[in-house]
Amino acid sequence: MSLLGAALSLMIGAASVGVTAGLLAPVTVRAGLVGAMTAVTGLGGAVVGAAALAGHRLVLDLPHLLPLSRLVISVDPLSGVFLLIVGGTAIAAGVYAVGYSSHPDHGPGDPTEPGHGVASRTSQAALPAFVAAMLLVPIAANVTTFLVFWELMALASLVLVLAEHRARAEVREAGIWYAAMTHAGLVVILLGLVVFAGAAGGESFAAMRLAAPELSPATRSIVFCLTFAGFASKAGVVPLHVWLPRAHPEAPSHVSALMSSAMVTLGLYGILRVAFDLLGGGPSWWGVLMLVVGALSAVYGVLQAFVATDLKRLLAYSTTENVGLMLVGVGAAGLFGADGNRTLAGLLLAAALLHAVNHAAFKTLLFLVAGSVLRSTGLRDLDRMGGLVARMPLTTALAAVGALCAAALPPGNGFVSEWLLLQGLTHSLSAQGSVHVLTAVLMPLAVGVVALTAGLGVATFVKAFGVGFLARARSPEAGHAVESPRTMTAGMVFAAAGCAALAVAPTLAAGPLTRIIATLPSLTGRAESPPVGGDAITLRLAGIQGSMSPALIALGLAVAAAVVAIAPRHRRARRPAPIWGCGGNRLNPRMEYTATSFAEPLTRVFDDVLHPEEDVDVTHHRESRYLIESVQFRHRVDDRIEARLYPPLIAAVSGWGRYARRAQNGSVHRYLGYGFVGLLLVLVVVGVSA
Amino acid sequence: MSAPAAMGALAVAVQLGTVVAGAPLLVGVMRQVRARMEGRVGPGVTQPWRDLHKLAGKESISPDGTSWVFRSAPTVLVASSLLIAAVAPYVSTILPLDPTADLFAVVALLLLGTGALALAGLDTGTAFGGMGASRAMTVAALAEPTILMAGFALSARVGSSNLGALVEGSLRSPTIVVSPAGLLAAVALAVVIAAETGRLPVDNPSTHLELTMIHEAMVLEYAGRDLALVELASALRLTVLLGLWANLFLPWGVATTLHPGALAIGLIVIAAKVLLLGAALAAGEVFLAKWRLFRVPELLAGSFVFGVLAVTVSFFLA
Amino acid sequence: MSTTLYVQLLDLLCGGILLAAVLVLWRRELASMVNLLALQGALLAGLAGLLAARERSLELAGVAAGVLVLKVVVLPVVLRRALVRSTEAREAEPLVNVAASMLSAALLTLLAYAVSRPLVTLAPSPTTRALPVGLAVVLLGFFMLVTRRRALSQVVGFLLLDNGIATTAFLATSGVPLIVELGVSLDVLLAVLVLQVLTARMRTAFGGTDLDGLRELRDS
Repeated sequence: MSLLGAALSLMIGAASVGVTAGLLAPVTVRAGLVGAMTAVTGLGGAVVGAAALAGHRLVLDLPHLLPLSRLVISVDPLSGVFLLIVGGTAIAAGVYAVGYSSHPDHGPGDPTEPGHGVASRTSQAALPAFVAAMLLVPIAANVTTFLVFWELMALASLVLVLAEHRARAEVREAGIWYAAMTHAGLVVILLGLVVFAGAAGGESFAAMRLAAPELSPATRSIVFCLTFAGFASKAGVVPLHVWLPRAHPEAPSHVSALMSSAMVTLGLYGILRVAFDLLGGGPSWWGVLMLVVGALSAVYGVLQAFVATDLKRLLAYSTTENVGLMLVGVGAAGLFGADGNRTLAGLLLAAALLHAVNHAAFKTLLFLVAGSVLRSTGLRDLDRMGGLVARMPLTTALAAVGALCAAALPPGNGFVSEWLLLQGLTHSLSAQGSVHVLTAVLMPLAVGVVALTAGLGVATFVKAFGVGFLARARSPEAGHAVESPRTMTAGMVFAAAGCAALAVAPTLAAGPLTRIIATLPSLTGRAESPPVGGDAITLRLAGIQGSMSPALIALGLAVAAAVVAIAPRHRRARRPAPIWGCGGNRLNPRMEYTATSFAEPLTRVFDDVLHPEEDVDVTHHRESRYLIESVQFRHRVDDRIEARLYPPLIAAVSGWGRYARRAQNGSVHRYLGYGFVGLLLVLVVVGVSA
Repeated sequence: MSAPAAMGALAVAVQLGTVVAGAPLLVGVMRQVRARMEGRVGPGVTQPWRDLHKLAGKESISPDGTSWVFRSAPTVLVASSLLIAAVAPYVSTILPLDPTADLFAVVALLLLGTGALALAGLDTGTAFGGMGASRAMTVAALAEPTILMAGFALSARVGSSNLGALVEGSLRSPTIVVSPAGLLAAVALAVVIAAETGRLPVDNPSTHLELTMIHEAMVLEYAGRDLALVELASALRLTVLLGLWANLFLPWGVATTLHPGALAIGLIVIAAKVLLLGAALAAGEVFLAKWRLFRVPELLAGSFVFGVLAVTVSFFLA
Repeated sequence: MSTTLYVQLLDLLCGGILLAAVLVLWRRELASMVNLLALQGALLAGLAGLLAARERSLELAGVAAGVLVLKVVVLPVVLRRALVRSTEAREAEPLVNVAASMLSAALLTLLAYAVSRPLVTLAPSPTTRALPVGLAVVLLGFFMLVTRRRALSQVVGFLLLDNGIATTAFLATSGVPLIVELGVSLDVLLAVLVLQVLTARMRTAFGGTDLDGLRELRDS
């Protein structure tokens, strides 16, 4: 049995054991077993992914597993990278889940207590199922298989989002939003793929790939638009992102990590698979559409992340931002691919894929860190955190690593992929002789968007880390925080190690990335040179005289820091001293800057976009109008896109629902009658058309 | 080690040494110019060095409740500036470390320093620290698009964003420098350099009035050796940025080989250019007042448009 | 004059004209807007002069002189006199704030470049290549007319528009006949004088020149 086959069986086997354990095991060992099995499932997936990236391929055709269709599985380099993302995330999240779900509070007891739901049978069984579904989506090789796994992934994640539904009403609301959005997405994807498969005359991906060039341009564009809309809603792209800042904060944290790092990225996988692989690329407006949508998502996501005060909401919006950046890369790749500039297209696609991997690593770490804080203090609100650096030193150090990577600063891993993206965008003008007018107009805007996103991203994560973890505790809960158990820190350390490896040795990814791009017909040229190359240390680009070596930068920083720390030794030791309190010495935590106050200047600058709501209530003293008893100040920034776009839509849907309600009167006979009439209609239609 | 490699290493060492030794002197010259123009005698150009020496001999202070973030921020700040000083082409365009970092990496390294200092400001837990951090990040976030846009304009015409290649590009075709695109990029970068280094009209480097300051508010709790490092770092940032601006837009004199004579000339020329630019900047500042914080975005939006125009104009005006 | 020098000067002048337009949009002080307008006029005259020197055309030189007199001397003087009499020194609250105006300026310039591409490809030469500058200045002038409240900034926007049209004319056709330019200039002068009178009337009627005050004049 080949390595791929073995790893694949390990993956499926571990997931089945995990699901069984979740349903049957006693509560004392349930979390440990399920977590371990989830991690092993992830390991199996990661091994399959790594083997696929190394060039192994596998096609499995199991004709009798699915009714009316066959189960077809195919492992290629493009699915490999996403398997690696999902598998890696699942290893960290699985190990972490052991400690997170066996929290003393999570044991049997009051079901309305926060955190109780995570340990329940349903949510425990859903976790390995969710991971397995996500691992099967990228290797599905026909429409039915793909949609079955896609739906399984959606349902399992929905169950997990709802884990704590007894404890908080917001969970239920988030669940409804998520269910509605994900199923609307499924319907659109289904339509798109059905149109595609119908026109291609076969539902296997291989047949569709062969038939795609012969399809009419209109069909191709319809398929692209439908599937893009569906996959974009899964990827959390503006304006379809509304479920993301609700569902991610309310889900248990390891599930948030899985959803944000892995599941959202599968939306990107869908776009790449259909638009670049199956359809084989398209006209340049596809690229422009993706680029514009990506740019909007990046800027809107980072702005909302910057003003968010809920740590997990902040991370969720940051996911929208990062997916936006990936889409900018993918869109630009589509644009240049359509123009025939394949080297540049390859470079940009490589940047987007590398960013997907990097994003998965640091977002997993950050969500797990947020979970540790939540578990220890019960807090998600940055305005009430603080002082964790003294109480949870290891978690804080890991949070620093995650924030550095997410802020795209050197020597973090996010920096490498953003650098590649910027290189691809800036050299779009010099690479060609005469500049296409679309390129000339779009590229400066894209660079501006990426740059603004980078700048605001740094500010966002300085805020998240500085306000959340440093200084003094702003609430008693934060003051009583304790460090997390070993299994949780192990999960976080694994994710952090992934970040570090990607940060120092991104050149190792060059070969696999080249292999992926070689499988996409729209981007492969005749004389193919790898878009990203270089020796073990320095990253070099094809067609562009550009190079950067993340390892040397990290080394240089370390050496310089060491020299500075050692060189002119101070004569006396460091002395503790009270903080200067402007003459008075009664500094209290209420005087500290909060997340809201930190964000205030930029909120004002982007007033026109964010439209913050502010209320000031002044209560006067009973005896005199001149004395004030209390002042209440409230400041909130709503998601404006959601507030503007969705209420009319929801009103229309519920209006239609009221109309449809007339058909429902409680009579069983009438309901059976509907079925009967439906059957007759189908028979008549079939009879007439035959 | 082969001879060119040794020469290259020597050039990097000399460049690094000159930047470190010269940075406080540059600050001294600028203060002296300003003092003379305001009719004061001034403390002399070596005063910053004497200050650093004095501070380095004093003990550092760890204010209550601060953590390792507060203690390590000055080191990170200095280290990032030193790294830039080692890789940027000040003396020669073919320094051996040039492929390590390009324009975008240098910008990111600067941002790393800003972020570290902002975290230190937040770590103190005082209102001043938080205020300074919030304002510094606001300015840095809004300056980022301008820098990268100007970088886009510069690298698009050369076909590379590596600093050595950029400087060589302007050296080879000097008309680029006086073309509209070149001038616009120069102005845009000059504005963001003022913003990044906390000069007027964005921040007042000599203020000690709490409500008006950005940089000084973040470093209020530092003392002794830590403060010396912070001061040195801000001098280093100013020097490396002025040096970069000088070589990008006035590239003449920079060595294109590793010949000792050319390197010596390159060293003298870059020192003279940076000192002259510093003096000009100080003289300009005499006539400027600090802008309100909420007008700074207008300034940065203006410089961003300069950056966009620098890119756009290069399509239709040579 | 060598071709390289000619192209370089042409580009610098066009760049200056565009830059002056952007700066007019950026500044709030009405006085410095007028100064920038005078500077733009001088650059425009320089452009006409450069074309005259290149084509050795006496007529174009006359146009250059006319532009110089009108746009650097006469119009700024008229505007400054209006400014001295008014109490408003600044465009306090434009309908679109300055930062957003700047971003719009960037977008408008890109748009000008995109739409003038077909024109440029018709007859590629250094002058036609610079055509987007004229179009961009026209768009910026229009933008200013739409978004500024003070009557004087409206006049400035109008003059920006006119400068844009003149730049386009010079670049597209290498100058216009003297008689046409004369007519256009007189029109502009007349328009500015009319607007100035209107401004003064508005000030006596409403006490300010906020154009939103004109809404009160409609039937309701």
